[in-house]
Order: sequence, then structure tokens, then C-alpha cells
Amino acid sequence: MNSKSIIRIALGAYLIIFFSYLLGPLVVMSMTAFNSSGFPSVSPWACFTFEWFRVLFDDKHIRDGIYYSVIIGLGTVLLSVSMGLAASIVLTQVWAKFRSTYYTLIIAPILVPGVVLGISTLVFWDRVGSFLGAGEGSFLNDLFHNGIFLTILGQSSFIASYAMLVFVARLQRFDTGLTEAALDLGATHTQAFRKILLPFMRPAIASASVLAFLASFENYNTTTFTILKYKTLTTVLAQKVRLGINPSISSLAFIIIVLTILAALTFEAYRRNQDRKFAISQGKAVEKSGGFLPSFMRGNPAAIMLVLVSIVVIVLVGTAQRYSPQECKVQVREAKQAEIQLRIEELRKQRLIKDQSEARQGPDIFGTPSPDEEEASKPSGAFGGVFDPNNLSSETEEEESSGGSGAFGGVFAPTNLDNGDGN
Amino acid sequence: MKKPMIFSQFFRNNGVIMGSALMGLVGFWLIFLVVLPQLSMLDYSFRFNLPPAEVGGPRDVYTLSNYQHLIYGSDKTHSTYNTVDLMVFVRTIIAAILVTVFNILLCYPLAYFLGQSKGSGFVRLLVVLLIIPYWINEILRAFALRIIFGDSGLLNEVLMFLHLTKEPIDFIRQDIALYAGLGYAYILLMLFPMYNVIESLDRNQIEAARDMGASWARIHRRIVIPHAKPGIVSGATMVFMLSAGALAAPQILGGPSSLWFTQLVYQWFNDSLNWQQGAAYAIVLLVSTIIIVLTVMRIFKVNMGDIGK
Repeated sequence: MNSKSIIRIALGAYLIIFFSYLLGPLVVMSMTAFNSSGFPSVSPWACFTFEWFRVLFDDKHIRDGIYYSVIIGLGTVLLSVSMGLAASIVLTQVWAKFRSTYYTLIIAPILVPGVVLGISTLVFWDRVGSFLGAGEGSFLNDLFHNGIFLTILGQSSFIASYAMLVFVARLQRFDTGLTEAALDLGATHTQAFRKILLPFMRPAIASASVLAFLASFENYNTTTFTILKYKTLTTVLAQKVRLGINPSISSLAFIIIVLTILAALTFEAYRRNQDRKFAISQGKAVEKSGGFLPSFMRGNPAAIMLVLVSIVVIVLVGTAQRYSPQECKVQVREAKQAEIQLRIEELRKQRLIKDQSEARQGPDIFGTPSPDEEEASKPSGAFGGVFDPNNLSSETEEEESSGGSGAFGGVFAPTNLDNGDGN
Repeated sequence: MKKPMIFSQFFRNNGVIMGSALMGLVGFWLIFLVVLPQLSMLDYSFRFNLPPAEVGGPRDVYTLSNYQHLIYGSDKTHSTYNTVDLMVFVRTIIAAILVTVFNILLCYPLAYFLGQSKGSGFVRLLVVLLIIPYWINEILRAFALRIIFGDSGLLNEVLMFLHLTKEPIDFIRQDIALYAGLGYAYILLMLFPMYNVIESLDRNQIEAARDMGASWARIHRRIVIPHAKPGIVSGATMVFMLSAGALAAPQILGGPSSLWFTQLVYQWFNDSLNWQQGAAYAIVLLVSTIIIVLTVMRIFKVNMGDIGK
């Protein structure tokens, strides 16, 4: 009994650690989207703001990136889903001895590093262009050096493998007798494919398309080589993140996270509803009546969550239209200025003390703050009044990292101040 | 001899139109998107980086110089080694292996828990929660970790608040952020293959072993792990290949002084515009990772057919 409860606790702790590793960074990132501080951070919380969303929507590069990402995504879906479908059908018919070699070939692109796929696509089509003697400025030369064309090919080369895996799973349940029956009844092969196999594969085609689109949309390693002078959302983001980060990227992440959650909940709610309807039609469950919830939400926590999240989003968007953090920002700025003023004064005082102590005791106690200095850095009354605790830590942080205070950096560290006040 | 027979069989089964459509699509994919590009990259890696006018001219001959550069650097006498690039290469491979092992250890308990507790609402919720981060952009996930690991990031704030450290720890320069980011990026590709195989394990086997007095560790060693082996190897293969070939996480989370091998490839292509050299480096990466994966699969006796299930 005792060891069982230990295992339970260990399991619970493990689950918490795992999920905070997985979800924690996303939660923190979402929160930074609403902090007015110019560097994405949570802990020195300045003001609650929606301005990063406006910065995001005004960003032309990101809009262009989304536009090209969607075009490339659609092209990739078209190409990779049809290739994946064909490959999976061939897999069911391929000669048994050749089967594992063939499977290795069509699964390999998943395992090849994306960087390699991007480079090889780029190099190959450059070669094809010169092989066909396409001169500078001719149509073919332009096509083979067109970022969109190359990116669609490069991405499709491995996304087709993902699509293939989805189709293989579905095809295993296909009854080939159906096709044979159709052929016996005089249908052509094309008709049999269109009227029998294709309808059977429709759910798999839908999920493979979604998968392919998302995989294309978020691909970076291949795209960054093949995109050339165009840009996609991911390459724009990568560039922004590398050059210097600001919270508008967090706001984009927040939007994507919310959309993902909505999509996941919608899917889950739909599936649970289908399950329940199926159970009711089989007589395994009873239709619950009464209650105040509409029928699609009954016994369906996912649907309830979906409605709740939607309400939160609507409220958030509604507030964003009206809410303005101007007042708070002014406060923060004033606090900042007051603080800078105070620090200048402190510095001046300390320099004076330092000069004096230097004169008295010689230069050897320089680095370590003397009791006098400790005293000086604690102008007790004015301190607590000016800073609200959040502002305080934020300002000292920034000032410190800009490295203004030289030898006195240690004295000003926020923790020291806290200690001083505590004592 | 046999091939034409197979093809005629194939066309008899599918009809001429459908048959050629299928063959055409698969052929286009495998030949023009997979095989020929790789071959042309291989060919490229053995050539000199010539100005366009000289391509095809007398100086356009095969050479090993691009590979020699990786080993010896620009030193023509080959007396010293290119320690910088070689170190980056070794570091990339070792770090990718460590990330893979870390992921196996972290995912196995959860995969076992999810796979063996069937169909309760809580488990279903957990699976949905797992899928959500999977659809967030790789770049954004790296960005999220950078917010946490940054100089004035959340982790440093927390550590300083708890007085565990006085100075902010530079997680980025010490590559802690990079390893955490790589582990984070592909963890679900480890979890789901494992989960799928463990789910297919018959609970009765475990019950039987327990009834016969097998210890907890023994059950895992003799029953669960052998059954889950294809899933574990499949997940490990994907995580290893993707971490070794990762570009976004090292670019965003890597320290300024330490590089990932893919970043060298990227630099040859985009900064030095020496495609031949970049192709050679890419080939080295591809071949060495494939050798490692095949060796591991041979050791654990797992087939290629298990990958991707």
C-alpha cells in the first residue's frame, strides 16, 4: 500500500515536470505578449498592453511571409498528397521481395536532414537549368531559380513521406474486393479509383492535407536554402529572432497557440460527439435529456471547453479595442525618471564618500563596499514611496545591464536592496 | 528479366491510365526530388568553386579538396588539422546522441503510463495537451526557450529570487539553452512512436509476470522494453537525425562562440557562397548520421520497416 502511494506521487511529480517542460515555455511566451516592456519578459511586469499585436499586424514582412507561406503550403499539399497517395497504393502492390527496399526509399526523406534536402534541391535544379541550356533571363532559368518553385519541390520531397504514412495506415483497412467487384461489373480502372478508392480514402486525404500544410508552414531547415529571394513566415521569424527580439513575435505565437487550441478542441469535441452518437445508436448509452446545456455540449467536456475558450477570446478582442495602457505607461515613465534622478544623486554621494575614504585609508579597500557606503545606498524613506516593487526590479535590471555604474554595480543589485529593506 | 513482367502485372492491375499516373507520380518523387538531387549534390561536392565562365572548362575537374578542407583546413601541406570544424562536427554528433538518450529517458515513463492506462478522459486530455506544442512553429518554440533562458530571463530571475545564484547564469553561452531547446524541439517524435507500440502491448502479459513474482524492474526489462523496441528505435532515429540536422535551434539558442555543424554548412552556402564546399560538408553530415543510425539499428536488430509506424 505504502509503496503504491509513493509510486503515485512520483508519477504525479513526473507528469508535472514533463508537462511544464512541454507547455511552460509556451505559457511564458504568451504572457510576454501582453507586457509593455520592450524586451520580451515576464518578471519585471510593466503594463498590460495589446500594442504588440498592433506592431505585429503593421509588420509588412510578416504579412508578406504569411502570404508566401500559404501559397507554398497549398502547392506542397497538392504535390505531396498526390505523390504520397500514389506511393502508398504502389506499396500495396509492389513485388514482395522489392517491398522493403521500396519502403526504405519512400521513408528515407523523413530521415534525411532538412538542410541536406534543401541544398540538394537547390543544386539539382540549378544543374537542370544549365543542362537544358536555359540562358540568363529565359523562362526555365527563372523557374529553376524561383524560390517558391524550389521550396515547393524541396518540402514535398519529405512531406510526401508523411502523407504516405497516413495513407498506408488507412489502406490497411481497405477491402480490395470492392475494387475487384467494380472492375467485374465493367467499371474502368479510373472509374473504380474515383468511385471506390477515393471516397474510402477521403478522411485520410483530409488529415494528410492538414498535416502537409502545417508541416510546410512551419518548415525552416529546407526552406531557408531554397527560398532564395522570397520569404516565408518562418524565415522572416528566424531573421527577426536572430537580429533582436521583441514581444510582437510573442503576440504572433499567442495567436497561433490560441488557434491551435481552438482547432484541437473543435476536433476533440466533434470526435466525442460522433462517439456518443454511435454509442447511442448502438444502444450502449442513453440520450441524456434535460439539463441546461445545449445538446452538443452534453457529456462532452471538450465542447464545453471550446465554448469557454471562444468566450475568453471574444472578450479579449473586445477589450483590446477599448483598453489603453497610456496611464500606466506614463506612471512607469515617471517612476523611471524619478529613479534615474535618485540614482544620480546616490552615485554622487557615494563618489564623495569614496573619495573621502580613499583619502583616509588608501586604495586597497576599493572594491568591497564599506559600511559607510552600505548606509549611503539606503535612503530609507524616499525609497519605498517612489517604487512600486515591480517597477523597481525592472529599472535596476536594465540600468545594471547597460553597465553604467562601474565598480558600484554590486551595491545596486536588486537583491541587495531587498536585503537592506528587510533588515 | 523479371522487371517487365512486374510492370505488365502492375498495369494489368491498375489499367493504363491509372498505372501510368501512379508510376509517374512515384517516379517523379523518387527520381527528381530524392535520388537525382542527392546525386547531384554528391557530384557538386567533388568540384572546385569556379566562376561561372569557367564551369565546363578545362579547370572543371573532380577534386577531393572540399573534403580535405574539413580535415586539414586551408593548410595545403596537410600538416595541421582543421580543429575548429572537426570539433564542431564531433560536438554536433555527441550532443545529438546525448539529446536522444535524454529524450528516451524522459519519454519512456510517460509513454508507458499513457499506453497502459486505456481510454480514460484524463489520458485523452493529456494526449490533446501533448499535440498542441507540436503544431507551434519550431522557431517560436526556440524563441520561447530563449525568453526563459535569457540573461534577464525568467529562469535567472527565479534563481536570483530564491538566492540560489547572485549573478545571472549565462545559459546561452554555456549551451544549456541549446541542449534544452533541441530536446524540446523533437520530444514528441520520440513520445508518439513509443506510445503506439506500448499501447499495443497486451496488459495480461504484465499481469502474468507480476503474478509470477517478477519485480517491477524485471517486468520492464524483459517484457515492456523488448516489445517497445521498434518504437524506441524509431523515435530515437528520428530525434537523432533531426537534432543532428537542426538549424533553427542552434541559430537561435546557440552561444555566439559555439557552432552546430549545420551552421557551418549554412555559412558556406549563404555567407561564403561556396556551394561546393557546403555540399561536401552536407554529404559528410548525411553519411555519418546514416552510418550511426544503421549501426544502432543493426545492434538492436530493428528493421527499416519499423520506422514511421
